[in-house]
Amino acid sequence: MGFRLLYPSDECEICSGSRAYIQDLNLDQIINKVCDGYDEEVMALYWDLPKDRKTQEYRRGIFSELKKKELLPALMDFLGNMKERNACLEKVERVENPLQKQVWFLREGFFYVKALENLRETLSKKEPCSEGLKGLLEFLDGCIWEERFHAMAGEAKALFQELAGFRLHLTYEKERFLVSEEQDTGKAESGTLTGESQKGESQKDYGTYLRECFPDNVQSLKSPFLSDVELSELEMEILRIFQKDHKLFFEKVEVFWKKFQKYAREDVLSLQKEAAFYTAYLRFQEKMSGMGFSFCTPQSSRDSIEALGLYDLALAVASLEDGRQVVCNDVKLGGEERFFVLTGPNQGGKTTFARSLGQLAYFSKMGLDVPARSARVMHFEGLLTHFSVEESMESGRGKLMDELERLKPMMEPGQRGAFIVINELFTTAANYDACIMGKRVLETFLEHDCRGIYVTHIGELAKADERVVSLRAQVDGQKRPTYEIERNGQDMTDALAGASRQVEKYHLTYQQIKERFS
Amino acid sequence: MKVNLMYSYKEWMPIKQYHDFQGMARDLGLDVLFRAAGQDSVLKYSKTVYALHEDPFLSQCMRKAMCVPLQTKEEVQYRQEILKDCLNHEDFLGKLYVTATKVLEEWGKLGKTKNHTGIRDSKAELITDIQVLRLLVSGMEEVRGILLENMERLHSKGFTSLLERINREFSGEARENLEQILRDISFYADATAQRGEKGVFTLNRPVIKLSCGLAEGLKLGELKLEGIETRVEDYSNPYGIKAKIQGRMNGMIPGCISLYKNTALQADAAELEYQAVNYVMASCGGVLQSFGSFFEQLRFQTGFYLGAVNIASQMRRFQLTYCFPSLGKQDELSYEELKEAAMALASGKKAVGNSESLDGRMLVVITGANQGGKSTFLRSVGIAQVMLQCGLMVAAKCYQSGLYPEFFTHFTRREDSAMNSGRLDEELRRMDKIISNMGEHSLLLLNESFATTTEKEGSAIAYDIVKALKEEGVRILTVTHLTSFAMKLYEESGTSKDTAFLCAQRLEDGTRTFRMIPHEPELTSFGLELYDEVLCNK
Repeated sequence: MGFRLLYPSDECEICSGSRAYIQDLNLDQIINKVCDGYDEEVMALYWDLPKDRKTQEYRRGIFSELKKKELLPALMDFLGNMKERNACLEKVERVENPLQKQVWFLREGFFYVKALENLRETLSKKEPCSEGLKGLLEFLDGCIWEERFHAMAGEAKALFQELAGFRLHLTYEKERFLVSEEQDTGKAESGTLTGESQKGESQKDYGTYLRECFPDNVQSLKSPFLSDVELSELEMEILRIFQKDHKLFFEKVEVFWKKFQKYAREDVLSLQKEAAFYTAYLRFQEKMSGMGFSFCTPQSSRDSIEALGLYDLALAVASLEDGRQVVCNDVKLGGEERFFVLTGPNQGGKTTFARSLGQLAYFSKMGLDVPARSARVMHFEGLLTHFSVEESMESGRGKLMDELERLKPMMEPGQRGAFIVINELFTTAANYDACIMGKRVLETFLEHDCRGIYVTHIGELAKADERVVSLRAQVDGQKRPTYEIERNGQDMTDALAGASRQVEKYHLTYQQIKERFS
Repeated sequence: MKVNLMYSYKEWMPIKQYHDFQGMARDLGLDVLFRAAGQDSVLKYSKTVYALHEDPFLSQCMRKAMCVPLQTKEEVQYRQEILKDCLNHEDFLGKLYVTATKVLEEWGKLGKTKNHTGIRDSKAELITDIQVLRLLVSGMEEVRGILLENMERLHSKGFTSLLERINREFSGEARENLEQILRDISFYADATAQRGEKGVFTLNRPVIKLSCGLAEGLKLGELKLEGIETRVEDYSNPYGIKAKIQGRMNGMIPGCISLYKNTALQADAAELEYQAVNYVMASCGGVLQSFGSFFEQLRFQTGFYLGAVNIASQMRRFQLTYCFPSLGKQDELSYEELKEAAMALASGKKAVGNSESLDGRMLVVITGANQGGKSTFLRSVGIAQVMLQCGLMVAAKCYQSGLYPEFFTHFTRREDSAMNSGRLDEELRRMDKIISNMGEHSLLLLNESFATTTEKEGSAIAYDIVKALKEEGVRILTVTHLTSFAMKLYEESGTSKDTAFLCAQRLEDGTRTFRMIPHEPELTSFGLELYDEVLCNK
């Protein structure tokens, strides 16, 4: 494998183990939105989590530079041209008329050339400094100075220009079509018949007339002649007339077709996918930023994971549709601290918080920007999640059994230094048992030098170890969740004292009303 | 194109409605007003029958319009000005409304012929679109004519700027262009042969000119429509000898493709006609949409004013004086001969008017005898406020108040549920929702709230709520039987001028005038007397 935009070298590995995190952290919802309009192949790139630190930094370098030097349009242009090229390729394969096949092939080659040349030109102007983009420029230079490419580029451009220059006039009236070819504009101007050229100016075409009448609603004329590749009867007739006058052109196209079969390089094709990995996320990030959601490039840290204004990106994506509230939290786990134990009332935002923390680890490892105002993230060897699921009906196994089996591979010593997200373990077990099991699980992860978060109802786990930090989902005066998560937060489950329950229920005591207005 | 008769800067939209308008309409009895709006006395002049013409659409307009309170003084004045024009020139308003209604009805008929088989017929749809556009263009011309004809006697900014807008967006060149385009593509909508003079059949036939490139795999691409027009040609039988000769001749011209007896080419030609016309119509799509919504808005907005004119004429019929209210500062509220319009219109009986100045009184507590006119008075304020905030006239000699887009009513709804505990719960729930929707300037009418529980408990609840809301700057008018609640407020008010206490007036001989006068809260609500009165009268 040659040059790659996603991995600095071929030795780079991806994380082994379960990919449960994709569903558990609602990453699938985010990635679906990110890759809206892109191929599934691009989406698949998001499922692989790179293992080593080098890859992460390689990607971050590329991503930051793309952002800083406003290279998104250049990459989008590259992808657009490649997409056009692929569409032509598909037509070359489908169309049967040999003339058409060759002309489609010419167009295919032209866009391939254009894609590489344009990208190289913009990139070299911007003088890339990140390892990845420097490599990319080198790679493009290599492609372009290849002898075969050079020859092809020249011919493709000349022939395509000729092809694009042909313009026909078609008049439909009285049960017939009249076909004529537009004369070269240069000739018309040099012509002596000044009267005619004036006439040409005064008679503007109907499309222009419509555009002037309705400038706010510019439409285009759809082709009435079969939308697919095949030629309609009329087009065939027209081609017959046209072909007679342009024998030489069609001969040259045939030569081009024979000469440049199998011109495309494998690594250019994979570059297309990998470039889309960055553009998809950049575009998504710009859109979300426009809606007021912050992103930042995480700083690397030796031994901590911390963020200000961290939020659940999947929730933010959903909020665009249903307008639900997205709460931001500040978080820090550093120094000797290893694990969060998060407790609090139901529907208090615990799972959301745990997800957002997992997402922080995921996007940081992917080398992309993270959903927070600012962040510092250490390197993790992997990302492992465990969320409780509905009892699996098919196998008839008990929920506990199922949980333990999913837990087992996570607790193997091979998974040292991973980031762990656990949401509600052992809910079916007796409280006493659950407490002991929970402690053992925590101990194992601590022993393996993992960091992470453990959401649970069992308050005792917060005191299981010195390296464990207790977090609590907060509620307000009316016991409504605020969705805020606080360190060593207060236990708000005590009942409020009050005279009339009913009045209180509707928040209508004097105090409550005053608070509602403040 | 915008109608903008409801607001100077936008079309009517049912947003920012009152909280629970349905409940409010029920509390205040607004249905009577909606019905009055639909009893059309303006349009009857154009008919031979002199009975009132019922138009449920007008009632709907009034209901929908009342749902949405105006937000600023300027908005209220804008509507008042227009309504004055309408009251002076009912016939003009009627014509606009009838024109808009007619256009929409004809449009409906055209639309109904579309898609009735369930199979999409895009050619038929395109023809319908052309016909609709013709209809809208001629309708717009009619509206312009009506406005032009009456412009000299109209004074409101609303109507003058409407005419200006139509003149600007639909006159001279713009109109000529539209009419030209409709002529150019008329071959598509009027394609049947017609017998012309001297018995010769003629047919509308298109001339379409295209330019195109070949860069996309030799298919005709980058199409440009160079020209399209309709020509009237003599009709000839496509299978006749004349066509045959013409076909042969075409075949001999270089660069000419004859359609004679070639169904594939004929299909291509038909598709070309469709796409070219479709392109032209798509370009006109904005006009179609903007004119379409113009007529819908015009019907609604003139319907609203027509409803208002109808209400006014009903008021005159029942000798109910009305005036255009004036807008004061937020804490002002004064009225002269204010009457409860809904009840007066429904019963036809002479209503009692109230006059008072309550400027600066953010809390008004109304107590007194049953059947003394308290609730009627409270409703009269509520109705006046809703009408004011909709730009309408008010049943009073004079009415001045601030604007309260956040206006709420909380009336005991006795019919709501049977169980006592359930009823308190329901009242509290409603209050909770009201408070959730309150803003900076809110007005709240309480009618016997929290009377569903014991007097002691009810007083405590009411006191807490009223005190907290008053402190938060909510203007409250409350009718109450909760004596300890009213007394406590009275004792606390002392010399402060922000609370007023009204009472149903009783003359010295004990007769009721049904008027509200300033008076300290009465400890008894004269229920006993009423009991006696009812039984004695019996």
